[in-house]
Parts: sequence; C-alpha cells; structure tokens
Amino acid sequence: MSTLGRTGESFEARARARTAGMDWVLLGLTLAVSFFGIYMVRAATESDVSGDPGFFFTRQLAYTLVGLVCMFFILRLDLERLSRYVWTIYAILVASVGAVLVLGASARGSTRWIDLGPVRVQPSELGKVVIAFVIAVVVMERLKAMDPARLTLMVLALALLPAIIVFLQPDLGTSLVYAAIALAILWVAGQPITHFAAIGAVLLVGVALVLYLLPAVGLNVLQPYQVDRLTSFVDSGSDRSQAGYQLEQSKVAIGSGGALGKGPSGATQTINDFLPEHHTDFIFAVVAEMFGFMGGGLLIAAYFILVWRAIVIMRLAATELERLVAAGIAAMMAFEVFVNIGMNVGIMPITGIPLPFMSYGGSHTLTNLVAVGVLLRIGMRGRAAQAGAA
Amino acid sequence: MASFAGVALVLLAVLVVRLWFLQVVSNQGYQQRAEANRLRTVITEAPRGAITDRNGKALVTSKEVLNLVALPQELTSDAGTRTLRHLSRALGHPAGYFQAKVAKAQKVSPFEPVVLQQDAPPALQAYVQERQAQLPGIELQAAYQREYPNGTLGAHILGYTGPIPVESITTYREQGYLGDETVGRAGVEGEYERYLRGIAGRQQVEVNAQGDIVGRGVISQTAPRPGETLRLSIDLDVQKALEKALKAQVVSSGTSTGAAGVALDPKTGAVLAMASYPTYQPDVFESGTPREVRRVLTSPGRPLLNRSIGGEYPAASTFKAITASAALAAGLYRPGELIEAPGSVVLYKTRFRGFNNEAFGPIALPKALEVSSDTFFYALGDRSYRMRGWPLQEWSQKYGFGSPTGLDLAEGESAGLVPDLAYKRQSCNRKVDPINCSWRPGDSINMSIGQGNVLVTPLQMATAYAAIANGGKVITPTLGNAVVDTDGRVLRDLISARASRALGLSASNLDVIKQGLLLAANGNEGTATPVFGNLPPAFKVAGKTGTAENPSKIDHAWYVGYAPADDPEIVVAVVVERGGQGANSAAPAVCETMAADLKFDSSRCGTAAKTN
Repeated sequence: MSTLGRTGESFEARARARTAGMDWVLLGLTLAVSFFGIYMVRAATESDVSGDPGFFFTRQLAYTLVGLVCMFFILRLDLERLSRYVWTIYAILVASVGAVLVLGASARGSTRWIDLGPVRVQPSELGKVVIAFVIAVVVMERLKAMDPARLTLMVLALALLPAIIVFLQPDLGTSLVYAAIALAILWVAGQPITHFAAIGAVLLVGVALVLYLLPAVGLNVLQPYQVDRLTSFVDSGSDRSQAGYQLEQSKVAIGSGGALGKGPSGATQTINDFLPEHHTDFIFAVVAEMFGFMGGGLLIAAYFILVWRAIVIMRLAATELERLVAAGIAAMMAFEVFVNIGMNVGIMPITGIPLPFMSYGGSHTLTNLVAVGVLLRIGMRGRAAQAGAA
Repeated sequence: MASFAGVALVLLAVLVVRLWFLQVVSNQGYQQRAEANRLRTVITEAPRGAITDRNGKALVTSKEVLNLVALPQELTSDAGTRTLRHLSRALGHPAGYFQAKVAKAQKVSPFEPVVLQQDAPPALQAYVQERQAQLPGIELQAAYQREYPNGTLGAHILGYTGPIPVESITTYREQGYLGDETVGRAGVEGEYERYLRGIAGRQQVEVNAQGDIVGRGVISQTAPRPGETLRLSIDLDVQKALEKALKAQVVSSGTSTGAAGVALDPKTGAVLAMASYPTYQPDVFESGTPREVRRVLTSPGRPLLNRSIGGEYPAASTFKAITASAALAAGLYRPGELIEAPGSVVLYKTRFRGFNNEAFGPIALPKALEVSSDTFFYALGDRSYRMRGWPLQEWSQKYGFGSPTGLDLAEGESAGLVPDLAYKRQSCNRKVDPINCSWRPGDSINMSIGQGNVLVTPLQMATAYAAIANGGKVITPTLGNAVVDTDGRVLRDLISARASRALGLSASNLDVIKQGLLLAANGNEGTATPVFGNLPPAFKVAGKTGTAENPSKIDHAWYVGYAPADDPEIVVAVVVERGGQGANSAAPAVCETMAADLKFDSSRCGTAAKTN
C-alpha cells in the first residue's frame, strides 16, 4: 500500500466513523426535494420581480445552504444534555413568539417576523422543532411519575400557550402544527385512547363554536379572511372572496396540468400570475401544472418515503426522549405535507401551512432542514446503540 | 408505530386520488378555464359602409374620430369624482356634467367606457394628452362616426345610427353582435344594417392576471372588415330640388305645418327623391346636445315623422283618376259619353256641391279631369253605388291604396285607408247614428272625389300614378339600388328583384285618363296649366291637383304628375299640409323637382295652380 493509500484509508475510516448509522435515504431525499424546490421557486417566479428573474431563486438557494450547514452541526447535538435546559428553552420560545406580537414586522395583514437587520426571522417556524423537543422532554420525565390525565392536560397547556400567541399573530396554520406535534407525542408515548377521544370532542365543539355559534351571537374569534379560507374549500365556486379565488386558480392550475404537465414555459396559470402565492403555500400547484400528475404524484411519493424514514428512525431511537422527539418531527412533516397539498387540491381548508423543502421562505426552510438534522442524529445514535447491543 | 405509517400512507393516497381526479379525469374542463384566463380577445371596430346616391355621390360616410372617454372602474374613488368635476369645468360644462353622464351610462352597462365627448377637437386632444398623468381613467379612444356631407339632406331616408337598444340586445346578440356596437336604428341605416355593418377585427392575445399583454403576445387575429357601400336609387340633385321646394312652399305659405314629396322612376319603381319637412339632423342622437335632442323629439312639427310614407292625407281630387279607372273598367262610363256637370247636384235628397259651385255643362271624362269637375265624378260615384260590387274599393286596392307599398323602409310606412262597409261598421257610433253603420250613397259619392274617409300617403299616390304613367304596372318602389364594394363592383342588386303586378286596365281606357291628366296640366282650363303650361314641348307634364279638406279648415294641397307625358321618366307626388289657401302650392314643388331630373329650366314653372 502506498502512503497515499494509507492516508486515504484513514480518511475513509474517519468518514465512516462520522457517518456511521447515517440514514442515506432520508438525507438524499431531503437534498433532492430541497434542490427541486429551489428549481421550482425559480421556475415559478422568473417574471415576478421585473429586472431580476433570480430574485427568489438566489434567496432560496442561500436559505437552503444555511439550512444544510445548520443540519451538519445538529448531527453532533446531544439532546439528553440539552434537556437540562428545557424550561429555559421553552421560555425563549414563548418570549420570542410573544416578541413578534409586540415588535414584529408585518406582511399581508399578519405579523410573523422579527427584523434582525438584514434578515427577518419567523420564530414560530423554528418553534415547531423546539416545541417537539420541549414536549418530548416533559412527557419523558413525567410519564411514569404523573397521573396520565394531568400529564395530558399539562402537555396541552404547554403546547397551547405558544400556539395561541402564534394564532394571534395571526398564523392559524403554525398554531395547528404545534397542536399536531403535541398530540402525536402523547399518542406515541402511549397515553390512553380516551384522552384523544375527549380532545377530539372538545375540538369539534370548539370548531362549531368558532365558525358558527359565536359569530351567530356576534362574537368573532377568527378574522373574516380566516373563516373564508377555512370554509371555501367546501364550495370554492360560490366563494367570491380572495380565498375562493386562490383555491379556484389553484385547482385550474393543477387540473390544466393534465397527466404530464404543461412544462415550465407553458404553465400560464403560474407565470402569468393567475395563481397567487405560487412560490410559497401554493408551490405544489405549480409542480402539478408544470409536470402534471406524474410530477405531483412523484413528489407525494417522495414525501411518503420521507415520513416513512422518520418513522423508521423513531423505532430505532436509543432513548425514550429521542423516540418522542422523532415522533413529533415525523408528525410535523406528515401534517404539513398533507394539509398543504390538501389545500392545494381543495380538500383541506386554506390555513397557511407551507410545503416542507419546497415552499419559499428562510425560517421555514431552515426549520425543516434542522428537523431532518435532528432525525439523522437520532438515527445515527440508534443504530450505534443497536450495534453496541449486538 | 406501524399505525403511524399506515395513517400517513392513507392520507397521502387520498391526495394522489384527488390529484388523479383533478388532472386526469377533469383535465379538459380545467384546461379550458386556464385558456380562458390566459387568452383575451381584443376587438377592433370596423367602419360602417358608406351610403351613396345612384351616381355614387356620398350621402353618409364614416370618419375616424377620437372620443373623450371615461373608464368607470378607474373613477369610483373620490379622486375620480374630482377628476370628472375638474374636467367638466375645464371644458366649460357645469361641474357635475360628466359625473352625471358616467352615472347614467353605468346603469346600462357598468364596465363599458363612457363617451364624454364625441370627436374631440384637436385642442381638447392636446389638453388631455398633456395632462394624462393628472387625469387617470380619462382616455382618448379611436372610433368611427357617421358623417353627413349634405347636412339634413335625406334625413328621413337615411335614418340614423345609435347604440343597440337595451330591450333588443338579445336579438342582436343572436346575429353575432357583441352588444356595444353602433347600429342602424332608422331609415336605410336600419333596413340595410346587415350590409352596412362592418365585421369587427378580433385579436387574440395572451395576458397575465393584471391584464397586461405578455409572452407570445398576439396569438391569432382577423382584420376588421369594413361594411359594404349601399347605393341608393336616390338622385342627389332631384332630392335637393324636392327638399328645397317643399321648404320654400311651407315657409312662404305661412300656415303650413309641413310637406312631403316622393319622386319615382315609373319604369323601375326606383325612388329618385323622397322628402319630408320639417326635418332633422341625422347625427343629432349621436352628437347633439340634450336640448337639440329634446327639440327633435318634442317639436309640434314632428320632424322625425317621415310624412312621405307615414303621413296619411285625404286623397282629394287626385283620386279622380282612380274613380275614372273604376268607372271605365266596370263599364259605368263609356269613353266619349257626355255627363252634365252643374255647380251642384241633388242626389238622394241631399245637395252635393261642386268646388266653388262652378258649372261646366255637359262634358266628357278628359275634360272633367282637366277642370276637376266634382259633379261629374259624383255621377260616377252614384253609378258605382248603384251597381253590384265595390268598384271604387276594388280599384283603390289595385292601385295599391289601403296597404303599405312594400318600400324597403318597412318601419314607418302607413297603410292609409280605403273605406268600405266593414270600416263603416267598425267606426260608426251605433247608439247615436245607427244608419251610418251601413255603406250609404253619400259614401260612394264623397269617395269618388277622394274625400270621405279615403286616406293615402304621398308614396302610395306616386306609386299609383306611376302605374298610369308606365302603362299599367304597379311596381313596388325601392330606395336601395345595389350593394357595392369599395371599388364600385356590384355585390348585390337590390332593384331587379322588386315585385310588380299588372293593374288590369286596358290601354284604351288608360289613354282616356292620360288624356285628361295631360289636359289638366296643359289645357286652356286645366287646373295646373298656370304651373306647367309654359314648359318646353319635350317636357309636357300630365297630372292632377288636389285640395284636401281636413279638420284644420285650411286645405292640404296635393299635386301628382308625371313627365314627359308621352314617355314618362319621373312621377312626383307632393302634399303641402294646410298649403291650399287660394292657390295650389304643391304643383310648383312638383315642377321644380321634375326640372332637376329632366334638366329643364325651373324658371319655366309657374308659381301657383288653381285649387281643386
């Protein structure tokens, strides 16, 4: 063996040690979807900013690269050690989403960002991963020590406090993601099914109250546009509101795409601007318009594989804390994908939830890549533990 | 754990099924809607065809103008109101003038541009162009506008154009109109709309959500096709002469409320001139001020009424030629027979007076026509009453009275009235005067001199005398001559297909009447000899005066005649309402009209015929 070979070997060994237990499918698919997303953002927005066809493209590319760097560092993160500071972390979460309400920057009637000089951060996005971690810690520590009913109530309270603040920004979609994460962790932790039945019942009553009963007596909890969005998917044709228009144009974009799509230059719904929000919440409709049922179906399949890998990692997890965190993240991804694509195709209410790895947006892109980083880390530790046990 | 993956699988499968439904099952519908979003049709107005006289001289043309328009959607705010107020004042109108105009137009079609001023003059164009930035929602738009080089000339023939009336918009849409076109609304503009209308050009362009033209831009286009030219049978010079003469007679009479006249070519039925006085400016509805429009609509002289086809007048002595035809054809009078014509005559215990109680002694038919003896024709009326059948009614109808002539100007043509038993029954008052519900001897006697209830239009009268002039052919008169393209090539002949029918009067009987009519214009005692007696031999006129009694106490003056008498080229019928005081004022107008057509010196025409 030559010197060169030896050094190569040692590099290889180091690399192998560093990446032992790496879920290549999850990592590869994340990268593939992310870069496809960057391409889609470019294709959808070429004519949006006059004089700068790459405006959104360069930004999304930068967000993704920053996200990947963060993901790389997360691979070394020790969740167990971090769990000592859980209350501090929770306090920072609540404080930052609260700060948005007080001194945040607005866009289109809602206040979701904090201006940090050159960049704007949306704390509620990163909060998704944080809430998964916080709730996992709380559940893990108290699962055997606390009365199950009190634990469920405590978890719900912990999730609802930031969720309500986010809801007030107003950002209904993100607050719903918080709730979905909390419920998924409780479920995986094995809380009795009766709890979920009770929560379901309360939820039903709550929806009825908010959408129908309270407005009837003159008390409006939701903004009118939120009600429009939530109800327009039932009959978008009759809805003259902005949400109805949005949904109609989304359906026309998707439907006109056909089996194979109209291609990036023929997707007139997108490039002629008939479909609003084509680079953010409605980027799936752009994929379906440009690449048809083929492209849309493949993308959905990719998301299924991503969620499936998250579940595999959850089963491998070395500790209960990591298992619960993985469950929260898996639920987050599945929920976001289903609700986002569901609202694109008109079977879910429009709630302002972006599509993971695809929708344009810094905080959101960063959050999803961080979440994947956490999953990869859990998977590596899980595989290492299994190897050690064997 | 597996349940987690299972739930995810089911949810994502639901999405795929839904995607399949949208993209594969419903693809076509959505594709059409995406196209409807993307494609917009831009309409380019096509100019309307011109209307010319028989020699190609322009009567109506289309010119391209710039209209000052307001776009209502861009003027809804307070700023829009201010813009309109500012513009109203700047153009010398009351402050709310344009705003009211916009508000009114919006009630009909809320999104259409509202024309604030048609044919903006250059100064206004410059004003708007310089201040484009301060006048959002105000534009100059190119459009075509009707132009009338001869002013009011032929207004009743030409008619006018205007927007499609709201109540008939569906009918127009069925014929391929969009609904915002300017269409012919009256006269030949309306009658020949289908030839005159141009076909708008269509341009299909790709637009974005903001309505800007993008991408490949123009996808398909068809050029606007101008309307065809309509050539009328009208002769501009004859029309001018007739209108001038009618106006002169009405103005000089001092009592007249209006006049009408028709000139026909007796050989073809071509209308050489047709006029009605008072008249109006054809573009008054397009560009007149509200006051001008109101005056046209409410003036007691009814300038919009085409008296030559819509005015019904007692026929009076002009009807004697019809009575003569009936008597000759029914054998009630044999040519050469002399009938005593006293100043008045007692029949059925009633005294029937002749005009001015003039007595003429025993005379034959031609002389009776020459002097217009009433008592002679009373005798013929009495004979017709006593025979079986209804010769007066029958011959009135043969000449075309009692029904519209079928002129290619269907709207506004009256039927007139030929009284008969059915009419009497229907119009009498059974309680007060039950005997009047039958046809009585006096009815035939009055009808024989065209009084009683006989009502005719000038066009009917001209058509009837044209039949005498051309040897017994009742021809449907026509205004349209041909549809021609811009190079003058005939695309469609409008004249040869017109119906005609034989009158059924023998040539010898017709000659007796013609002889009488010639005498009436040239004989020593002819009622119209003062007007026509001095004409050159080549232009001898034959015709008949008429003095129509009517409720106004001042008689209407009639004249109908043809020339040259031995080979007639023109028939003219003129009625001057309340123009018959002392002398007949219709005959000079006829003479001057003929002079314009036959090219003789109109100063040879006399100024006043005798009445009756």
